[in-house]
Amino acid sequence: MQCIRPVCGRAASPWKRKGRILDAYLIGVLTNVGLFSFLALSGYLLLIAGELSFGQQAFFGIGAYAAGAATAMYGAPLWLAIILAMALGAAAAFLIGLPTLRLRGLYFAMATLAAAEMIRILFELLHFQRVVDGELVGPDGTQGFRGIRWIFEAGFGPQDYLCLVWALLAVVLLALLKIERSRLGVTLRMVGEDPGLSSQLGIDVVRFRLGVAAAAGSLAALGGALFAHHNTYVEPRNFDIMLGVHGLAYALIGGLGTAFGPLLGVLLDIGLLESSRVLSGYRMIVFGGLVALLLVFRPRGLLNEALVHRLTGGKR
Amino acid sequence: MLADLLQNTLDGLAQGATYALLALGFTLIFGVLRRANLSYGAAIMFGAYCATWASLRFQSGLLVLALVTIAGAVLAGAYVERLCFAPHNARGLRPGNAAIASMVASFALWMQFEEIVTLWMPQHLYAFPALYEGAALDIGTLTLGGPLTLRVESLITLACATAICAALWLILYRTRFGLAVRAVIDEPGAAGLSGINVSWVLIRVFALASAIGGLAGYLVVATHGQVTPMLGMWSTLKGMLAMMIGGLGSLPGAIVGGLVLGLVEAHTQWFLGPQSRDLVSYLLLFVLLAVHPAGLWPRSKPVET
Repeated sequence: MQCIRPVCGRAASPWKRKGRILDAYLIGVLTNVGLFSFLALSGYLLLIAGELSFGQQAFFGIGAYAAGAATAMYGAPLWLAIILAMALGAAAAFLIGLPTLRLRGLYFAMATLAAAEMIRILFELLHFQRVVDGELVGPDGTQGFRGIRWIFEAGFGPQDYLCLVWALLAVVLLALLKIERSRLGVTLRMVGEDPGLSSQLGIDVVRFRLGVAAAAGSLAALGGALFAHHNTYVEPRNFDIMLGVHGLAYALIGGLGTAFGPLLGVLLDIGLLESSRVLSGYRMIVFGGLVALLLVFRPRGLLNEALVHRLTGGKR
Repeated sequence: MLADLLQNTLDGLAQGATYALLALGFTLIFGVLRRANLSYGAAIMFGAYCATWASLRFQSGLLVLALVTIAGAVLAGAYVERLCFAPHNARGLRPGNAAIASMVASFALWMQFEEIVTLWMPQHLYAFPALYEGAALDIGTLTLGGPLTLRVESLITLACATAICAALWLILYRTRFGLAVRAVIDEPGAAGLSGINVSWVLIRVFALASAIGGLAGYLVVATHGQVTPMLGMWSTLKGMLAMMIGGLGSLPGAIVGGLVLGLVEAHTQWFLGPQSRDLVSYLLLFVLLAVHPAGLWPRSKPVET
């Protein structure tokens, strides 16, 4: 699906700066790897809590639209826009989780898909523009939302933006790794492995999963906010089911044993295959087959629980 | 107004018949495997592209094209079953984990099919020989005194759907194979213990489901007269939607869900427009799942996913 994949070549726009370390193309690729890691991580959180969501792309979209509107239409700084996007993403995920998190398996997956598609169609119906500096800015239905140019106006170079994305990703990863070693992380995996037993042990499974869903929603929204400012342009069909399932696939290929898993999945696909132009044109044929084969041998991904347990010496 | 309502109902039923066929295939696979096959629509799309190729290359007749679509879909379906579903059956995985692995693997193959067809036939859109060239029948002027048209394609679709439902019922309830399928659907473990070759049943059900999907895909592309790579996503989404509305794992539910989805879409499209049509059908599914997840025509025995 070429349409959802951000065009890596985009970052190859003329950009001169002294003392640059990486070339522009590589910067674009690495930025994309960072952006989509947030989406993969949000799918991963729900997967280890035992729920499969086909709807994380909606929160990615909400983050993109909300942050874009905050900076481009109301002149807010990026940090404020990101906080707003994360809050909205968490709130939306919470509201959608409220009636659906009692459901399991395919029922939950389809309910989240329905919600996400509704949100995408609402983006298509959303016409909300205002004049900023003599120019109409804002979401314009299926035409999308153009001119999210905060990083250019604030004098951010692509390399600076890359650092920002990866710094935020590092913070998120560190927090997740810390959580996974804590009692909370043990509870998270227990709820995912055996919800029945967990509730007998006194955990309110639905309430716990609501918290997880809200956290996952805010992570996806963070990715979306960064995506909107990287691309400067978003449109509703960026956020269709293809995007969400890609996020899930990244999480599962990389492995469900550690928060590094989703990152590895994104690196393998966007970083290695999409960017190595050797396979251009045949990429999905090779990659699709490899993923199916990989899952035959490692149904919980490359960095699965058993491997992570061995690597960490069982000290989790 | 009345004529509009009737017209929409007719169109909706015809469209709903296609959805019902798609949902039947999905439900069969889900019934025996307890897992969703995301590349179900992609296999149908592959079949439709095989037929498009045959029509461009040999100017084949309609019946041949239908058979080629079905054969292509079955072939692609068997490939998906071998690579994404069969390996996860025998590995002692927890059902939930196997379901996720199979689903993501089948998604990967969906992407593969999409790239294969776009490399094979790179145009965005191909014309497909129409099911019927003539004008629509006017059945309203005589009986109601107003215009009420019935497309011949719709009649053919409805007839095919009815025939498939009848045939499927005969297969499932009047043959030994059908008995084995129902046994596997109800109790896979016990079915295996009583001497049924479960993996053989699985692959045959997969082939049967892909054939039904292939026929539905053929009816869709021949009615619309065109093929695009979007057919894959469209079939998967509509099939899943109709299946869930009717009730997961229920064969009568698949038919009811398909018809309801078709009717709701036809009426909302007429009164509210195409974007609201999709909005309303997703809203219907969401509300239904929130308040009554078993669906409109549930299975007597609820399924665990």
